[in-house]
This record gives sequence, structure tokens and C-alpha cells, in this order.
Amino acid sequence: MSPSDKKMARSKHLAPHIGHLSRSQVAAKRGLHKGKKTSTVPPKTETPATVEKTVGGKANGEKRLVPTTKASKYYPAEDVRKPKLSRKTNGKTALRASITPGTILILLAGRHSGKRVVFLKQLDSGLLLVTGPFKLNGVPLRRVSQAYVIATSTRVDIAGVSIPESINDAYFAKAKAAKSTKEGEFFGEGKESQGVSDEKKSEQKAVDASLLTAIKKVDKLAQYLKTTWGLSKNDKFHKMKF
Amino acid sequence: MVAQPSNFKRFVEVGRVVLVNEGPSAGKLAVIVEIIDHNRALIDGPTTSVPRQPFSYRNLILTPYTLARLPRGAGSGPVKKAIEKAGVMEKWEASGWAKKLAARQLRTTSNDFDRFQIQLAKRARRDLVSKAFVKEKKAAA
Amino acid sequence: MSDIFLRILSFWQDLVDISEKHQLINRMGRFIEYSVVGRKLPTDADPNPKLYRMRIFAPNEVVAKSRFWYYLRQLKKAKKASGEIVGVNVIHEKKPLKVKNFAIWIKYDSRSGTHNMVKEFRALSRAEAVEAMYQDMAARHRARFRSVQILRVAEVEKKDDIRRPYIKQLLEPGLRFPLPHRNTKSKAWFAASRPSTWA
Repeated sequence: MSPSDKKMARSKHLAPHIGHLSRSQVAAKRGLHKGKKTSTVPPKTETPATVEKTVGGKANGEKRLVPTTKASKYYPAEDVRKPKLSRKTNGKTALRASITPGTILILLAGRHSGKRVVFLKQLDSGLLLVTGPFKLNGVPLRRVSQAYVIATSTRVDIAGVSIPESINDAYFAKAKAAKSTKEGEFFGEGKESQGVSDEKKSEQKAVDASLLTAIKKVDKLAQYLKTTWGLSKNDKFHKMKF
Repeated sequence: MVAQPSNFKRFVEVGRVVLVNEGPSAGKLAVIVEIIDHNRALIDGPTTSVPRQPFSYRNLILTPYTLARLPRGAGSGPVKKAIEKAGVMEKWEASGWAKKLAARQLRTTSNDFDRFQIQLAKRARRDLVSKAFVKEKKAAA
Repeated sequence: MSDIFLRILSFWQDLVDISEKHQLINRMGRFIEYSVVGRKLPTDADPNPKLYRMRIFAPNEVVAKSRFWYYLRQLKKAKKASGEIVGVNVIHEKKPLKVKNFAIWIKYDSRSGTHNMVKEFRALSRAEAVEAMYQDMAARHRARFRSVQILRVAEVEKKDDIRRPYIKQLLEPGLRFPLPHRNTKSKAWFAASRPSTWA
């Protein structure tokens, strides 16, 4: 058996998209506790295969070529498979066709789950840029994954809404807090919450102002965004249209 | 077979208008063009784009409408003329049955925003009714 | 929550797709009429062997060819090992939307002997009538496909030539009948009372 014939333990599909193994079982099979598998090739340093060494003893010819690395006494009975080098690069996340700028989305996870929000644009990381607007339902400018969202067929016309370039993935990055000493932590230093900066507040207001005028043009839409979504007793989710 | 007095009002017969209850044409009207046997009939719906096809009675609902004197195995053209002459589609659309089906269809195709607006409208109606009720109650007391 | 939701949803969608495909296959019917042409392999003694053509009702081409050799070796001194199939073609119904009366002559091997039968069917195509015949033979006589040989399938064009009363009764002018026993299925999740299946 050549190394390439050996297959990694895979989670066989029970049905399309539903694996035989759970996430943790796959991790166990892949041996991830031994550390993450990487496939980067270290830079090669040229080392000569053999080194000339002087040898004592008359009958030994004074010099001898000695291999730089001694061959191991251990020889594996079975070939150990090296992880394959991947030639793939991650492309940009493809949006679902039902999500277009202005689409009203229903958030399904996180602290705002159940709320209806307006989709503004897709960020470079593939995440969706979303706003409540903050005034209506308390959802600020926020990034969400499209997997945790139901796209409705209702749309707001956001042609008049300009989103500043400064709102990108870096905008949402957390500022690194300075490491506090143990003693300081004990006395409650650096614990006070920093709150939202005034800069972010004004940016939020700027985006929401034009969006709110667009929302107000449609009857009952503002009220719709204010209320949360949920399933009740006799709702048949698979038959509902959104 | 001489038509004997019967308690039944709707019969499987050539010219009977039926409602298709299954398959791609579900919810559309068609006409029985010929009886194949005791399980199936050949139906055709030239005005409702139901293709001419054999159909099991299990998946058909008989309507009260018939096309009088439709010959056995009539082609799509004559069937279309007969439907128009009898004014079946107008009668159907005016019927409570068709309206109920249309309303049900509207409900299933409504989106999340529509459902929210229905909720608001229902709330407004409830409010009116309960207020009127209280008023009447006070007047009666 | 939604991740599992979506996975289940897509799983459910796949199931629906599969069941729709099955429905499509079922609607195609079990039998297709083939015209199979075959002959013995040419030899020095007979460089141009006679061609034989048969109309065969089978679910697919493979079975059609197999049935061809089955019948040919009973009728002629020929078999598959020393013969060849020249062509297999599907015979389509000329008027698939006209209701016709078919008579089917069959030879049937029962548990105690061999019988000839004539049965009549109302159908839209010859293949459909043959399917109904096999179904009827299975129901009434527990006959399998292998114990029924079709001798002839022909349309009965004149009403007076119909022999069987169960077909005759469908040809009465002004035929009409009610549907007395309709089972309506509730689409609700829960029913207040147990469904009654009694007529």
C-alpha cells in the first residue's frame, strides 16, 4: 500500500450534509488532540549528505565518508501518511440569492436572536453587515454569519443610504486590553467597562438616519422591525414562506 | 342505464366538472371527457391548462357543474367551447368554495411581513369587537 | 439552533426530491411494448438466415431481449448462443389519449394445468392494458409473470364484439354513477376523534 492509498478517517455521510460522526468524534478520529495539522513546508537548508572524517588506525585509510544523519534503526512497518498539501485558497463567501442589500433578516443566534434587522452589505470577511436600526430594536451595526439568519422576501430601498468606508472588518475588531497585573485585578483595576465610543455612536446615527426615512416610507414597516419573530404552537416551519 | 331517482346529486359522467386534488394541476378545474373504468376517467381542462390525461377518481372532487350533452371523448376545442358556453368558470369563481380555496392559497403564500400585518389587523378587529360588546353590555344593564 | 434547523431542512428537502422522482417512475408504467428483431448467426451453409420479429411487452430492453429468445427457442430451432439480436425498438401508442377496448389472449400455466384465456380491458394504450392484465392475473389466480404468455393483444373496435359484461357495462350510453364512499383526510396535526374507516 502506497501512502496515498491510505485514507484519513472521514465522517461518512448518513444523508446529504449530515455526517455519520459528530464534530467531536471527527476531531477524535483525526487525532486533533495531538495538535493542529499543518501542511506548510519548512524552508530547506542544504546539508551535504556525507562528511569526510579522519579516522585513526593504519588499515583504515585515514579518511572516511560518514553520513551526516545516521539512518534510524527503527523502520516503520507501515508507511505513515503525510497530510496533503492543499492547493486551494479560500474564495469569498457566496451570498444566498435571497440576501440582497436592503433585505430584512431574522437573526437566529446571539443576544439579538429573534430580532428583525436590515442587511446593508457583505464585508470582505464574508460576514453580513447588519443594522437594527438601533433606534427601533436596539441592534447596532453588527456582523453576522449568513448561516444564522433567515432571509425574508421583504426589502427596504436602501439606495439613499450611504455606508462609510470606515465600517469594515477592522471596525469591529476588539481593541486589545493591556495586560493587568494580578494585584491590580484583585483591586478591581481596569474593570470599568469602556462603553461605546462617541465616534461609533455618531457613525451609527449617520447610517440609521437615512435608513429610518426609507423605512418610514413603507406603512407598518417600522413596527414590524420593532417586534421579534418566533415560532408558536401550530406553525409549520417547512411550509412557511418568509 | 335509465336515470333512477337517486339521493346522490353529483355523478361521475361525461361532462362533469371536477376539481383536481393532486399532482401538478392540483387546485384546477377540469372536465370528465370519458369514463375509462370504475377507477379512472380521462379529464381535460383547456381553460385551466390541465393537460388531457387519465386521472383516478380518488384524486378528483366532483363539483355541482356539468356540461350538458357533451359527447363522449370530445376534443379539447369543443370542451373549451362548452365550458365557455356554460359559464362554468364564472360560476366557480363566484362560489364560496372557490373563494375559500383562494383565501387558503393566499394564506400559504403570505410572507413574514404579511403575517405581521394580519396579526395587527386581527388585533384591531378584536379591539373594536370587545369595545362594542362592553358598550352593549352596559346599555343592557 | 439554526444550524441544526437548516441541516434538517435540507435533509427533508432531499427526501421530498427522492419521493417525487419515485412518483415519476411509477407514473411511467411497468410495461413498454418493444419490437425485437433477431436471427440465427450466419453460417457457410446459410449466409442469410431468416429474420424473426416479435412484439414483446417488457419493463426494459434487457427483459425484452430475454423474452425474445425464450419464445424463439420454443417456436424455432434457434437460441441465444447461436443467434443475434438485430434490433430492439420501442413501439409507441398511436393515439395515447383515446380510450380503447383491448382484448388480450393469453396462455396461462396454473398449478394444475395450462389454460387459454381471453380478457378484456379498457385502457389508453396496449402497454397499459397488458399491465392491467398481469395485475388481474396476479390478483385472481396468483399468477406470476413467468406463468403467463401473451398470445395476442388487439383493439376491439366494434361495440358488439365486446364479450365481457364488465366492459360492456362501461359502454352504455348516458353512463353515470356516484362516488358513494369518499374518505377525506384531515390535514390537521391532531384530530379530536379517531378516524372512522367503516363504510
